[in-house]
Amino acid sequence: MSSLALALRLTPYLSRSSSRQTGLHQTKLRDAGLPILAFGTVTALLLTVAGGSQVFWSWSDDIAGTYQALAVVAMVLLVIPLLTLGASAARLAARRRDDRLASLRLLGASSATVIWMTVIESTVLAAIGAVAGAGLYACAAPFLGLIQFRGHAIGGHAWLSVASILGCILAVCVLAAASAALGLRKVVLTPLGVRTRQTANGAHWVRGVIAAVVVVFGVVAMGMLSSFGAFMVIIAVMGGCFGLALLALNLMGPWVLRLQASSQLKRARRPEQLLAARTVLESPKESWRQVGGVAMTSFVGVFVGVGMAVADTMGSSTSDESTQLVRDINTGVMITLLGSFLMVACSAGVNQAAAVLDRASTLVALDRVGMPQKLMVAARVKAVMSPLLLVAGISAAAAAALVLPLAGPALLTRPVVFLTVGGVFAAGFLLVRLALAAGTAQIGQVLARPERYASMDS
Amino acid sequence: MNAILHAQQLTKHYPGNIALDHVDFAAIAGESIAIIGPSGSGKTTLLHCLAGILRPDAGTVTLSSAVGPVRLDSLGDGALSRLRREEFGFVFQQGMLLPELTALENVALALMLNGTDRTTSEARAAEWLAALGLAGMEQRRLGELSGGQVQRVAIARAHVTGARIVFADEPTGALDSATSNEVLDVLLQSVAANGRTLLVVTHDPNVAARCQRVVELRDGRIVADTGCAVPPPSQPAPATTDFKGAFNV
Repeated sequence: MSSLALALRLTPYLSRSSSRQTGLHQTKLRDAGLPILAFGTVTALLLTVAGGSQVFWSWSDDIAGTYQALAVVAMVLLVIPLLTLGASAARLAARRRDDRLASLRLLGASSATVIWMTVIESTVLAAIGAVAGAGLYACAAPFLGLIQFRGHAIGGHAWLSVASILGCILAVCVLAAASAALGLRKVVLTPLGVRTRQTANGAHWVRGVIAAVVVVFGVVAMGMLSSFGAFMVIIAVMGGCFGLALLALNLMGPWVLRLQASSQLKRARRPEQLLAARTVLESPKESWRQVGGVAMTSFVGVFVGVGMAVADTMGSSTSDESTQLVRDINTGVMITLLGSFLMVACSAGVNQAAAVLDRASTLVALDRVGMPQKLMVAARVKAVMSPLLLVAGISAAAAAALVLPLAGPALLTRPVVFLTVGGVFAAGFLLVRLALAAGTAQIGQVLARPERYASMDS
Repeated sequence: MNAILHAQQLTKHYPGNIALDHVDFAAIAGESIAIIGPSGSGKTTLLHCLAGILRPDAGTVTLSSAVGPVRLDSLGDGALSRLRREEFGFVFQQGMLLPELTALENVALALMLNGTDRTTSEARAAEWLAALGLAGMEQRRLGELSGGQVQRVAIARAHVTGARIVFADEPTGALDSATSNEVLDVLLQSVAANGRTLLVVTHDPNVAARCQRVVELRDGRIVADTGCAVPPPSQPAPATTDFKGAFNV
């Protein structure tokens, strides 16, 4: 029997037996509900961004280029974090199966069978989420059509073609499949290591070097923007720089968190400090997923602040066209910010819920040896909030470095920029804190029924 | 002889079955007691009720403490947590140690939870690990240790706080017979050397045979009890050569 055929036969069987064995809605939520929710949100936001920006490409007059340039910036700022959230959702779908699949591997299942099983499971969850997300987009599109640019509602431009929607669903499924297969490399290579959590998941310093090189390259390219000549090339370079910088942040984040946690581990005096540092060091990438959304939004916040400063500067202009542009820039930055916060809310909620459920057996173990619940909560809050300030600051600094050659120091240091960035920080922190509070209630539920989790692998 | 732990009329129901049916039980300080019985007989439920992990539906559990008798059923969750970390130690089959911590940190954490500073906690944890044959392995994660070594870490954690009662649930259940004997030696010797009381749930007749007292459960009731065989508490607890003088806890 081929690996694919065996995987197709085993996957539904194991999914059913897993549900029967535990018989818990929490387990179902953990294994399927959270990834579906995450994929659904990613798809809905992706389609909304794509639909909302269609109108800009339908114009061809003199000022259309300015709108298109701004649209490219906004799209890059939203799409890259969304793709990151999508990859995070894919990993969420796959990592829960690591232990089970590692056990299968130890029992003799081939690497190909294990990979196929994970890819099939993750893709099915992604497909369900993506279809639900497309439904959500269809509900939102009429409202999206009411948004006005250049004095007219977007209207029918908010609707994407069926082919585009199907393409987006397909892209989400491919992203899920690829991410699941890549994430399984370690299970395939060292199944016993994964089963017994032999080593912590590191984050190599090379990540930091690559990210620094990319940001420096971006700053230099942004400084030379006017020398690129053709307008479309300038737009492409600008969008490319922003996108690369966001990807670089995503690459560097886990490494930065590992450095911070290593330092905190050495200085830890209290149990919650020790546990928080070890939680981050156990998997810096996992910890990055908890705070990465706010880091991305902080990056966006700087651009939003600069956008508002530009609008503020142009506000005194008397021409109708300039007044309209100012109004539209304000609309655009608000939409970008709203989309960014929706992403953070989704990312924080999903990742916090997953984090508690992932660590349920550890929480039960700590409870049994007498660790007070408030200490468990304190350790979890510290493990998330402590890196948050650091990564948000680094992201904002990287964004400021990139935008400096374009905006100049005078524009970048206007009060409206600081107010906007401060507001974005505060709102992002609040969203993560709310997600943590929801997770605290979840800890209470886990400890109220410890028999459900005591034997689960964490 | 006074009981260090005394349960009266313990009753615990689960949907569709009764796990404990009016169980009376007393443990004397210094005893090693094996609780045996077939699967579903209520062994683990009894252990969890005695350790304050589970609350019985009816009946009482009383711990004899320095400040007088303490009724576990009268304590709130916070007080029960404190009791578990100060008075009790736990050695379970799996899942009770934290995989992200090193061996040393797992043991030291028990002391840190009681307010001991990290330096002192790690020093005492290192002493216990060394005494249990794990010198040089302090910085290893649990995944880098063998099953027997992991159980030694659990035994060290159970003792490091000076817990008066050690609860063990199938402590050798996941080990081969040779390793199982080694772990059992370490557990029994360390308990005896430090005058601790041991309650161990086991399926293994070899484990039961090495305890001073065997209590058999069936359908939630005690059907056999070989009785107390421990010397009076006023006498010094037997110490083996391996552990004699190794600790000052």
